[in-house]
Amino acid sequence: MSSKIITYSEVGAGKGFYTLLAIFAAICAVGFFAFLYLEHEGHYVTGMNNQIVWGLPHVFAIFLIVAASGALNIGSIGTVFRKKIYQPLGRLSALLAISLLVGGLVVLVLDLGHADRLIIAMTHYNFKSIFAWNIILYNGFLGLVGFYIWTMMDRKLKEAYPYAGFMAFTWRLLLTMGTGSIFGFLVARQFYDAAIMAPLFIAMSFSLGLAVFILVLFASYKWTGRELGDLIINRLRYLLAIFIAAVLFFELMRHLSNLYATEHHGVEWFILRDGGVYTQLFWIVQIFLGSLVPLSLIFCRFLAGNRLSLVIAAGLVILGGFAQLYVILIGGQAFPLVLFPGADVESSYFDGVTNSYSPSIWEIMLGLGGVGLAFLMVTIGVKVLRFLPESLSDGIVDKAR
Amino acid sequence: MSNSSVNNMSQTAQPSADGNNQVDAYRRRFMGAITGTVAAAAAITLVPGVFLREVHAADVTPRPEDQPADAKIRWGMLIDTRRLTDGGESMVEACKKEHGWGNDPKARPDQQAQWIRTVKVTDKLTKNSFTLPVMCQHCETAPCVDVCPTGASMKRADGIVQVNKHTCIGCRYCMMACPYKARSFVHEPLTDQLPHSPRGMGTVESCNMCVHRVDKGQIPACAEAAPQAVIFGDLNDPESRISRAMKALGGEQIRGDLGLNTGVRYLNI
Amino acid sequence: MMFSKIKSMLLLPLMLPMLLVAFLAGCDASPPEINLATAKEKAEQCVEPTEDMRRNHMVYLNEHRDETVIAGIRTKKHSLNECINCHVSATKADGEALHYPDQEHFCASCHTYAGVKIDCFQCHADRPQVLDNSDYKHKLSANSYHEMSAKKQPLNMADMLLVTGDKGAVQ
Repeated sequence: MSSKIITYSEVGAGKGFYTLLAIFAAICAVGFFAFLYLEHEGHYVTGMNNQIVWGLPHVFAIFLIVAASGALNIGSIGTVFRKKIYQPLGRLSALLAISLLVGGLVVLVLDLGHADRLIIAMTHYNFKSIFAWNIILYNGFLGLVGFYIWTMMDRKLKEAYPYAGFMAFTWRLLLTMGTGSIFGFLVARQFYDAAIMAPLFIAMSFSLGLAVFILVLFASYKWTGRELGDLIINRLRYLLAIFIAAVLFFELMRHLSNLYATEHHGVEWFILRDGGVYTQLFWIVQIFLGSLVPLSLIFCRFLAGNRLSLVIAAGLVILGGFAQLYVILIGGQAFPLVLFPGADVESSYFDGVTNSYSPSIWEIMLGLGGVGLAFLMVTIGVKVLRFLPESLSDGIVDKAR
Repeated sequence: MSNSSVNNMSQTAQPSADGNNQVDAYRRRFMGAITGTVAAAAAITLVPGVFLREVHAADVTPRPEDQPADAKIRWGMLIDTRRLTDGGESMVEACKKEHGWGNDPKARPDQQAQWIRTVKVTDKLTKNSFTLPVMCQHCETAPCVDVCPTGASMKRADGIVQVNKHTCIGCRYCMMACPYKARSFVHEPLTDQLPHSPRGMGTVESCNMCVHRVDKGQIPACAEAAPQAVIFGDLNDPESRISRAMKALGGEQIRGDLGLNTGVRYLNI
Repeated sequence: MMFSKIKSMLLLPLMLPMLLVAFLAGCDASPPEINLATAKEKAEQCVEPTEDMRRNHMVYLNEHRDETVIAGIRTKKHSLNECINCHVSATKADGEALHYPDQEHFCASCHTYAGVKIDCFQCHADRPQVLDNSDYKHKLSANSYHEMSAKKQPLNMADMLLVTGDKGAVQ
């Protein structure tokens, strides 16, 4: 077992730690202020309207939730698939998963029209609603991953470790399927109504979660002066490439199957060709910057072993994933609902026109607040508990294998 | 188009097809359905534009106020777009007046609530065009009811789909799910709402078929505003005016392909 | 709604000592003026005994709202609209419209004192809209109505304790 060789320790409380803490707390405060303002004024101060009902906060929230389930993957590969080289990363991966999920949920909840009625969401369940199931899935995820961390940290619970890891892994697959199904189950919307949304979201969670994990790993090891060997980094590097390719594959399948059905031509041409900002986000940010460039960075022979190239690749994957969610969420709503197939419609309620959306500063603040909260939790977590291995140098990692 | 309306249409002689004779014949039948008796139909076709308001009394029978909504009933509406001279504008105005929406002071135009709107439909190929009022279609299997996490989006025993604003958390998932864009979100604090139609910030709202009027034995405000074109009544009662009219003339659904079995049906769309 | 109830429950332990201190201080310990002056003429008796209403009006209202919205039962006895029609004046003393945020509002006058936060009036009308009918009588059953009397009954300290001093009141 790896724990015999790997020693974990808390990070020190230096100036850097408190600076980081202050920065993330400030971002949180900005988000909370935006929430108070929205709660008092109402949603008329946002860019959202009765056509684009879910806006930038939802992009942030779903990004964080999807990345959360993906971040747990590193731990799962070690536990469920018995790849021992990943086991030292399990604790950090689980902490990141919990933090990102909480950050995402907070954004989602604080954007509600009645955030004060959260208790109703917890006590009134409509079991036909995938949203209600998601509430259960999120809460269960937090509990299971918390237990998973416990089994990793407490020798007395060592025997439960593989089971906890397996349960958490199964649960996270269900959770991402649930998140994808929020869109997959919408019969009314041309861009969503497809079962492939569930596996697409799982693939996205793999790549986004890993990208965030890589950045957090790099940052925490650099800032705490701990050693990070090439052995582990190269594993993560090629894993990221596989996940990027998986997302591209499902995205290709989704658009191809849509393009085959005449019914969906309208929305496909909108996203792929005529959609203005959504088309640009799709081709330039999601496909080129967010997929092709990172793949090149990873496989470029001259950059083999170059850490900066991996950090840039991971950052671009995050950017591309954000753009992808923006296109799915906002682009999918911007395309008008089809009331009468084969006919043009017009009304005072924006029927038949491309809906416009420009996010307000409040939505950006709220969304960033969730990100700030997630990283605040990670920062505090690695300070108070032993999440980080003292060293991940090649020698130690190789022995742990 | 659902099976049931296919059957209905095949039993009748395709009323809206072509030729003035058929249109006239259809009109007589619609009038017959509206007035409920052949004699009255004859009388009314002689004097176009004169209608007996009393006939509506039979469409909704007042229910004792301590009795819950009757599960044997399914309220529905049949709207003949050709008989709406204004495309349904009067219905929209009546709804605004009844429920007090449409002029929220702070909301942008794209944030204003619209419980009912008139939609102009133009066929891309034939350029044939008509206008119809669109509101909540009161689906039998309503997507908004399925997706609501708290059960606030609900269908009453008598088929009326509405939002229970006491449990609505304002997540707007129902707005994502509705194929008809029938729902609005209230984007700002409101005051001086009408006592019979509460609406407020942070909750979703939509046409509720004037549930407060139906419970008193009245027909919805929009149906009252366009009596020449709209029949309101019990879809489950084969003897009701609306059932007889639909049996004779059909009653099409918007997006019938979704199989939602809407409670609001149209003629000539 | 439940949220606000929980909050008011949390407030109780805080408020009780404060009330006691007020008693002990002795001087000027009278409760703040509960301004029912601009409320409509108060009836001899509400739809339930006054004490019961002070403790449990929220329970009646919550039960009634679910019956009405979900089942479609529209009895008048516990209807919020009827509370407003009977208890709340449409205008302030200076003739301006009276709303819940105003201290003279019948509901607000006590809720402010008891530290209760409600969201009823985010959606519901907070003032009577029976202006054309000044002799409005609250229908209790098929043939009985509220007896309106000109007698005003300002709340006294004992009444206030009924509302705030007993846990049963706000559960």
